[in-house]
Amino acid sequence: MNLRRAGTDTIWIAWMAIGYIVVLLPIVVVVFASFSDSNTFRFPPTGYSLKWYQAAFASSEYRNALGVSLLVGLLATAVSLTAGTLAAYALSRSEFRGKSSIETLLLAPLALPHIVWAIGLLQIYAWLGIGGTLLGLVLAHAALTLPFAVRIMLSTFIQLDRTLQEAASTLGASPPRVIWHIVLPLIWPGVLTSALLTFLTSFNEVTVSVLIAGSRYLTYPVRLYSELRSQGIDPTTVAISAMLLALIVVFALIGERFLNWSRRV
Amino acid sequence: MARKSTVLLLTPGLLLTGAVFLSPFVFLGLTSFWTQRPNSLLIDPAFTLVNYVRIATDSFFLGTLFRTILLGIVTVAICLLLGLPIARWIARRAVRTRGILVVLMVTPMVSGALVQTLGLVNLLSLLGVINGLLKQLGLIDWSIRFLGNEGGVLIGLVQAFLPLMVLPLITTLAKLPEDLEAAARSLGAPAWRVWVTIILPLAMPGILAGSILVFFASVTSFVTPQILGQGKVQTFGTVMYQQSALVNDWPFASALAMAMMLVLGVLLLAVRAVRRGLERRPVIGSAS
Repeated sequence: MNLRRAGTDTIWIAWMAIGYIVVLLPIVVVVFASFSDSNTFRFPPTGYSLKWYQAAFASSEYRNALGVSLLVGLLATAVSLTAGTLAAYALSRSEFRGKSSIETLLLAPLALPHIVWAIGLLQIYAWLGIGGTLLGLVLAHAALTLPFAVRIMLSTFIQLDRTLQEAASTLGASPPRVIWHIVLPLIWPGVLTSALLTFLTSFNEVTVSVLIAGSRYLTYPVRLYSELRSQGIDPTTVAISAMLLALIVVFALIGERFLNWSRRV
Repeated sequence: MARKSTVLLLTPGLLLTGAVFLSPFVFLGLTSFWTQRPNSLLIDPAFTLVNYVRIATDSFFLGTLFRTILLGIVTVAICLLLGLPIARWIARRAVRTRGILVVLMVTPMVSGALVQTLGLVNLLSLLGVINGLLKQLGLIDWSIRFLGNEGGVLIGLVQAFLPLMVLPLITTLAKLPEDLEAAARSLGAPAWRVWVTIILPLAMPGILAGSILVFFASVTSFVTPQILGQGKVQTFGTVMYQQSALVNDWPFASALAMAMMLVLGVLLLAVRAVRRGLERRPVIGSAS
């Protein structure tokens, strides 16, 4: 009986391994390929080197693209976090008719197809004359990431003990002081979690950005996309992608260790 | 909280969602009934059904729609086959490894679609890892072409969306009562029978949720088919993109987008009906 059970477990684990290999292998390959020394990646590699990492730091073109991604990500995070936190506070602190439909509305970008949205947005942007501008990109990314901010901040505010605020006001603290000394220290893990998730979503966004990007503000994923479509893989981007992956993994580990991400999101 | 301050606090969020996210959908509905003037970027705002007639009668677009849906169904099936055992193990057997197994499953979702597509290209290309390995092992003499056909796109879709299947399945499977299975086993039911009569029917809400997520994501995806299909595999996503960004026929692209929304909407209503039926059904199948 035990032997049979061990046998089934082995088959079970082998089957699971297939799933994990399919999901993780591309990431492993990117890291592996970034140390290759040839101009086009081939397997088995002819040798290993760090030259694509050197090329990555020397390339001003990719530095610009990463700069645009960073700028758009930070601005979009600021906009969506502000709007999301305010809305989540209102939703958590008051009862009114139509509250659940407002919540659904704010979470809609999670459910509706982005490619369909992008085709409409492209036309509206052209009509308004903000296609390919920084403003257009930031607004699009902010709208897209707002649901993350709303959802995480909503659960943060719901868990916030309201009696603490009431006690502070009864003892004579002014509303700004209550927010600064009571509310902010309690909600900052939620704020940080939504900020990181919002930023990461914006930083990785490609479907919408590819459609609405002009020629001046090309984010790194858009650069990568046009490269994969036309001239093939530049090993420099493999090295950059491997570094970004490492950064994201570090952030995810910090988030999980200190902010319990898996239970918040 | 005062009514006025509630409204004030909600305004920025609603403005952002309404003006930037929802208005394009309204705009699409409008422009899909307009037409593009030939050889110009100007649009003729006169009501016409010409775009929809073109979609419904042109075999290219109908064929693409059909192929996209088929690709979505196959992706869902493979994700179910791979995802169910993973979710079951995480929900029931894994104790110390649970956290790491979940994190590994979520990693692709946070690391960005394009990085993974880049990895897939390196993996599947003619001189890539898989062909290289197979040649080293002496299994093949000539590289197998994975990119530029449906097979490659399918691998990419499963890779990208398997986590969307596994996560809701874990939630559902973790909630299943253990005593039902134990009872069935003690009465002598073989493992397959426990799965067919107990686990799968009870896990149906999670299976439906995961399948919907994966199906939606794969039929509306465009980066994966565009890159891994190398322009040789057309899906609804890539065709919409081409009509919009390359052909610049925006009203027609709008009509394609509306057609996509229609298909997804009908599907969602059908699933809701199925779910209602499931809720009305007795808890455990009495037929067996």
